[in-house]
Amino acid sequence: MTPLDPSQRYDLAVIGGGIMGCAAALTAAQGGLKTVVIEKSELGSGASGVNAGTLSLQIKRVKLMPYAIKGHEIWEHAGDKVGFRRTGGLTLAFTEAEAERLTTYMAMKKEAGAPIEMKSPAEVADMEPGLNKGVVLASYCGEDGYANSSMTGVYYRKRLSDAGITAFENLAVEGIDRDGGFVLKTARGVIRAKRILISCGGWVKEVAAMVGVDLPVRVRINTVSVTERCAPVVSHVIGHATGLLTLKQKANGTVLIGGGWQGRGTPAEGRGEVVADSLLTNIRLAQFAVPALGSCRITRIWTGFEANVPDFYPLAGALDGVPDAFILACVRGGYTIGPYMGHLMGQLILGGQPEMPLFDPNRFAVPDATAASAS
Amino acid sequence: MPKDLRTDPELASRPSFHFTFEGHPVLAYAGETVATALWAAGLRILRHGPGDGGPRGLFCTMGLCQECVVSIDGQATEACRFPATEGLDVRAGR
Amino acid sequence: MIQETFDVIVIGGGPAGASAAMEAAGAGLSVALLDEGVDAGGQVYRAPVSGTGASSGQPDGEIGDALRQNLASSTVTCLFGHRVWLVEQGFKLHALGSEGPVSLQADRLVVAAGAQERHRPIPGWTLPGVIGLAGATNLLKSQKILPGQRTVVAGSGPLLLLVAQSILKGGGELAAVIDANGRTDWLRRLPAMMARPRLMARGTKWLADLVRAGVPLYSRHALTRIEGSDEVTGVTLAPIDDEWRPDHTAQVSLSCDAVCYGFGLMPATAITRLLGARHAYDAATGGWSAVTAPDGATDIPGLYVTGDGAGISGADAAISLGRITGRAVAVSLGRSTPATGALMKEAGRAARFGQSMTGLAMPRDGIMEAATPDTIVCRCEGLTRRVLDEAIDAGSRTLNGLKSATRCGMGPCGGRVCEDSAAALIAHRTGLTRQDIGQATARPPLRPMPLGQLAGEFNYSDLPMPEPAPQ
Repeated sequence: MTPLDPSQRYDLAVIGGGIMGCAAALTAAQGGLKTVVIEKSELGSGASGVNAGTLSLQIKRVKLMPYAIKGHEIWEHAGDKVGFRRTGGLTLAFTEAEAERLTTYMAMKKEAGAPIEMKSPAEVADMEPGLNKGVVLASYCGEDGYANSSMTGVYYRKRLSDAGITAFENLAVEGIDRDGGFVLKTARGVIRAKRILISCGGWVKEVAAMVGVDLPVRVRINTVSVTERCAPVVSHVIGHATGLLTLKQKANGTVLIGGGWQGRGTPAEGRGEVVADSLLTNIRLAQFAVPALGSCRITRIWTGFEANVPDFYPLAGALDGVPDAFILACVRGGYTIGPYMGHLMGQLILGGQPEMPLFDPNRFAVPDATAASAS
Repeated sequence: MPKDLRTDPELASRPSFHFTFEGHPVLAYAGETVATALWAAGLRILRHGPGDGGPRGLFCTMGLCQECVVSIDGQATEACRFPATEGLDVRAGR
Repeated sequence: MIQETFDVIVIGGGPAGASAAMEAAGAGLSVALLDEGVDAGGQVYRAPVSGTGASSGQPDGEIGDALRQNLASSTVTCLFGHRVWLVEQGFKLHALGSEGPVSLQADRLVVAAGAQERHRPIPGWTLPGVIGLAGATNLLKSQKILPGQRTVVAGSGPLLLLVAQSILKGGGELAAVIDANGRTDWLRRLPAMMARPRLMARGTKWLADLVRAGVPLYSRHALTRIEGSDEVTGVTLAPIDDEWRPDHTAQVSLSCDAVCYGFGLMPATAITRLLGARHAYDAATGGWSAVTAPDGATDIPGLYVTGDGAGISGADAAISLGRITGRAVAVSLGRSTPATGALMKEAGRAARFGQSMTGLAMPRDGIMEAATPDTIVCRCEGLTRRVLDEAIDAGSRTLNGLKSATRCGMGPCGGRVCEDSAAALIAHRTGLTRQDIGQATARPPLRPMPLGQLAGEFNYSDLPMPEPAPQ
């Protein structure tokens, strides 16, 4: 193992080389900060690289819609380098209850800026003949599509390298000391930096604890399946009114099936496990929506860790009590929104006012007794 | 006429029948897989691969490599693991 | 759906798995044995096609027949024709059989998944008419069919002789046998081979048969190209140096219509990787395998690996190894079994021979120089060496990194054909060790599974839908 150069001192060390960490590093470096990205595995190999790649405004939370629209634009700009495709997306309801829910939700999202319209069963059958004829209502968004999440690592490795940003891969931060700035301890020696950004997805709780911050982060283990190359079955990104299905057929003919069905495992173990009962419901839902999938063979099923906090909004800002430490994590719909959130975080770290507001990461802190008595 | 590749001395005593590959009849003997019967019939190109689009066929013969995957009665199936039976509709794989 | 609990589940009905299952059942445990084949025997002792009579006369055949008879009269619950697609910790196992999906549960799991063949890419190796050496033995012995009218047998290890001899015996013509090892490589293994005089004598006789039949034998040579536009029409070969780098200036061409080509065996590790067991790389036992105690126990409580899956020891050692593991499992569940001292000794002797052959077959990385930039390395995704080289040069230095950068190993075969070659490519290009390069993360399903068959019959209204996430 080549030892690190201990005399190097960075303006910013980004812990976690996923989409958000890399995007923040790019903005920070562009603003003149000497930046390093430290990734315990490979760049973009966590949730950034193993999610289903859905770029759907229909499944974004209302409050996050403006960010999602910006993120969508960034991926579109990256184009072929990330396998971006705008296919349009259909979200399906098969019961009256699902239709009612879909109508309510989509009205809110349309209000928030997503160009969504409702489609009748006849219109849906016309647009996407391979769907189950039992659709009672669908919503449509022409902006929706997908990108290829497995290209994330290669894409950002190149961008970091072009920007002259050092990236250490397969290097875990094992502890953090203070020396006026931060001293990050690794198996290859220490990395010194004036500021740190903690952006390591499922592992964010453990790393925040290294600077004494306790965050109420929980981790979901999402399951994604893919089939071998099949004859065309669908041309849009397909969703379900409950949000429990995402389905798309890639240009190479493979069909990707997700929807947040839960596996088992912890980031500490470093691995997630597919749970048959959960997976089988996911693929039954997929087959129900697109019956022709029944004869396609599933070739790969994997899991990815998605961190969240109780209100399911991002942790994005400076950490109270730890000067020069920032955090960016728990962004639901992070694949779509991530590159823009990272950009905003870069602006904050540079000392400016981000062009859209961030999300106070200290909102879960329990006010201590002295603070309470003083007020 | 090339020599038959089958070596079983008791071949004549085994029941034989036909299935079709791309609509053409293929002779098979009881106990053979679809892949074996196709191979013996000189039908070795079972599909075309991605990338170079080159011809592909039986390779590992034990259900691992997926090179001999054909469509059997509409289902993508490893020809090397599927017992040949009378009347199967076998098509080249994707 | 069948859903049952057993004391022990054994995956793999080869000599090791079947022996482990019978031993555990003999000690009074309830045992389920699953195999994707139609009967027990695995690859080496595979039952011949039905209707062709017994495996008459062949020593391997008699061992296989005995194994099948003993298993049939044991209390082991055998699920043949069942493909395991997922194993969850604890252990919950999911398989698909002709009658539909099956789920089984047990506190003890014995993985006896055996070996798979190691390949190396050269121009033309994807052409129809090229099959693996292990595949060729299957065609010749079990399906009773010749690979071609005029066949080239090439690569390394003992399967070269087995396949060549079987072709001669079946009345086929051999264009050549091309061995990457030289006479001195074989002689160096002689002391270890003496541990199994019967097997050594058999190999010596096969070699004599080939010489007597006038088959051209090229030692210290390797294929550098397989010729043909739609199917195999010939091969080009060249002498190789100590690191197996071909000398392209001294090439020879031969015509043929079939090529049997392989570089020895490596342990099948997908299940143990899936379960997160610790693995180690050892060239002497075929590369990566789960780290096991002599009785097959892994670092995961209740998980055992036996036979070639724990490191290639050969079919001859597999029965003893399986019996040792079967007894260890029984002891772990409070049963008493006979002492295993004699079995351990016997397994050790047999493994010494098997491991010497494994080491002989192990390709050196210089053989990667036979792969040109346009040579396909990952067959499933159609990825050429050029694509992989570019990704390696751009910083993908682990198998997982190369996989996510290029899709190498992401196709239907699950990386079983290409990953070892991709690792060899990284090593050859960067000088990194196999430990640095690592293994690829294993993903279920363990075999491609038709979605509809997994989904089975269901009613939409019965699907358990959790509350949707907040909007």
